[in-house]
Amino acid sequence: MRLRSRLLPRPCLVAALVAGVLAAAGARAADDPNKLPADPPRHPVVDPHYGDVLFEFYQGRYFPAITKLEVSQHFDRMQHHADEAEILRGGLLLSYGLHKQAAEVFEALLARGAPPSVRDRAWYFLAKIRYQRGLMPDASAALGRIEHVLPEPLEDDRRLLQANVAMALGDNDTASKILAPIAGPRGTDLYARYNLGVAMIRSGDVAHGTNVLDELGRQTMPDEESRALRDKANVALGFAAMKAGQPVAARDYLQRVRLQGLQANAALLGFGWAADAVGNPKQALVPWLELAGRDPSDPSVLEAQLAVPYAYAELHADAQALQRYENAIANFENEDANIDATVAAIRAGKLVEGLMNRNPGEEMGWFQTFRDLPLMPHARLLTPVIAGNEFQEAFKNYRDLQFLTHNLNDWHDNLGVFGDMLATRRQAFAERLPRVRAQQQARGLGLDQLTRRSEANAADLKQAEDAADGVAFADANERALQQRLARVTDTLSGLPADADPGLADARERLRRVAGALAWQLAHEYPARAWSARKGQKQTEDALASARQHDADLARAQQEEPAHFEDFARRIAELDARLNVLLPRVAALSQEQQGALQEIAITELKAQKERLAAYTAQARYAVAQLYDRATEPKEEGSHVDKP
Amino acid sequence: MLKLTRAALIALGLCAAAALSPGFAADAPAPSASAPAVPAAIAAAPAQEAASGVAAPAAAPESPASAAAASEPAPTGSLDDRVQQTKADVIRLNRDLLVLEEELLFPANTQVAVFVSMDVGLLFDLDSVQVKLDDKVVTTYLYTPLEVQALHRGGVQRVYLGDLKAGPHEIVAFFTGKGPHDRDYKRATTIKFDKSTEPKYIELQIKDVQQKLQPEFDVKVWQ
Repeated sequence: MRLRSRLLPRPCLVAALVAGVLAAAGARAADDPNKLPADPPRHPVVDPHYGDVLFEFYQGRYFPAITKLEVSQHFDRMQHHADEAEILRGGLLLSYGLHKQAAEVFEALLARGAPPSVRDRAWYFLAKIRYQRGLMPDASAALGRIEHVLPEPLEDDRRLLQANVAMALGDNDTASKILAPIAGPRGTDLYARYNLGVAMIRSGDVAHGTNVLDELGRQTMPDEESRALRDKANVALGFAAMKAGQPVAARDYLQRVRLQGLQANAALLGFGWAADAVGNPKQALVPWLELAGRDPSDPSVLEAQLAVPYAYAELHADAQALQRYENAIANFENEDANIDATVAAIRAGKLVEGLMNRNPGEEMGWFQTFRDLPLMPHARLLTPVIAGNEFQEAFKNYRDLQFLTHNLNDWHDNLGVFGDMLATRRQAFAERLPRVRAQQQARGLGLDQLTRRSEANAADLKQAEDAADGVAFADANERALQQRLARVTDTLSGLPADADPGLADARERLRRVAGALAWQLAHEYPARAWSARKGQKQTEDALASARQHDADLARAQQEEPAHFEDFARRIAELDARLNVLLPRVAALSQEQQGALQEIAITELKAQKERLAAYTAQARYAVAQLYDRATEPKEEGSHVDKP
Repeated sequence: MLKLTRAALIALGLCAAAALSPGFAADAPAPSASAPAVPAAIAAAPAQEAASGVAAPAAAPESPASAAAASEPAPTGSLDDRVQQTKADVIRLNRDLLVLEEELLFPANTQVAVFVSMDVGLLFDLDSVQVKLDDKVVTTYLYTPLEVQALHRGGVQRVYLGDLKAGPHEIVAFFTGKGPHDRDYKRATTIKFDKSTEPKYIELQIKDVQQKLQPEFDVKVWQ
């Protein structure tokens, strides 16, 4: 079974909030209160983090939206949207029922001199908060501070709020004046027209009020929500006419009500009474017989079960009346037993458990609505209880607390991981640098060792350049060749001059080869000296960079433990807060469950009392019928009206 | 003899009263839950848990117990008031936890965040985005209709949050979806950027170019 507890669904509030957040403003005149205030021109999302908050918000993920918003405010990443972000935060807090915190946000916005459009919206939300808390004069004062027309659809909401505040203060005349421009004869805002009609009737202008509601009650409606409001208007008209002693008019109004709507039972019952009031109990039987066969959890149905035999008795069909009274008594007793069974199931926790199973929700917030009744004995008895505002609000709190429990448990696990990660990081940091330094030292690659080698190389280079010594820059082949020439020279010099006739030729060849080598070294010297200088420069630069890194590391090694300590302290502090909140949320969940059960049981007890009263009435009527059967017939004798 | 009995009056009175109540139901004052007083045993439990659950780790330089107790005093008042106060405490705690998480895992000097946004977006129906940083796939994201709608309305999605060392880097993003005339569309966009020691925010933008009747994909580097 699908339930709707409110005629105006909560998502409308979200839509209003969206409109409030994203109100576009064009050219406006600040001196004209009917124009939007002259703010600086709005620009599209400039700070991506604000856009990220909106991304969550537009998906109805309000909890991530508000937490991300507060995180980005902490890091000051939304400078271009500071006021809009605050309005959004206030609206989200308000949506969670955090009136006090939301009021603080809006009051702070007003105190710091926000731009006019922001100020107006802040006053509007403050008025809403005060209205919801029953502070009507304060709400009225806040509404009076709004200087300009609010962006749609916030403006319509403001007028309705203003009218509601006026009605709550007993000023129905003012409420009528506020609503009249938007309610019009065929205005699009059906709720405004309905409220206008009610306000007029309450303020004594019955004729005009009736006209407004009558117009609404005749209108063709496009959807279920507006058709339900039309039914409500017709039922209001019908019962107002009954109270005014106009049963014929009442019948006309009530027969416009649909047979399957939320107001159908009340209309059927009222229609029967209207027919009875014009002395036509036979016509009254038609709606009452239909009504008596419906779900008995509705008091109208129980009433119809008494009204049917009453009408039979009025028609002098005493046997049928007696039978119907006895059936009604049996039904009432059966219903009483069902209520007892339901109360027992509620006390066993089946109501809340069943509702949670049938209505899962991943999000926190009051925009969630019930969809299904719990699977438990005679769940239909709970339909009126569950549809009630008090139960809905209490169940919303319960579901929010369940969401918070999951959220806190997830963080509890994550904090453990953060702690482990920090410990690993701290240990790695403490161990890795000394180990790397020791290894480098052992391999002769320590910074000091490398520096000494570089300095020695620089000295050699300078000496070679000072001496213009090309030999110093000889490569491996040239060095090998030099050594071979030296060996050959030694060998030749150790031989007698006349040992061989070819010796003179060999010496000449040795001289030419040595000359060629010396020429080659001299020729290559400038390029080789430049290359060596460049290499030495690169080595010195790399060493300087290494020394800088080493200094950074040394500093980090001094400072980083303090950071680790800070993280450890914060993790411990947050863990402590988690450990405070987890049991508190659990205890509140338990308490809230108890409160939910009490609301349901209290309502069921009232149903039991109604049943007892109806049973007593039925028994009394049965006794009257027996009396009438045993007494001599009198003209006009009948049983009491139920 | 005919008299209007209590039941009839109840029916008339109840229905008339209900029917004449204002219809602006969403703004009806939320009555505070009429809950019974907290049983002593339940009320005492959080305090005991609080006392036992705040033992400071050895590494902590100061006892967090006092800080926790000071920042999260047990709320008083009606059940509804206490629930609302607890909600506020949990929201505040979530903020502090997320701040810690970001500072611990994605410190400012290495942080890089990649966002996806849509300007109009009528010429491109987004299905998925893949992001490569320095030739390594860092995220692939498939979009739901609700998420696409949120982008259309001006939301900006943070599709990736990670760490990069200072120096030059390259980002490549691949967009897949339906283009004009309902044709399958896959486009890539790339940019090279330098990471400094400040956080780097990169926005992948999907725009409509009405003159060409084609979508355009762009990368904007914020810092």
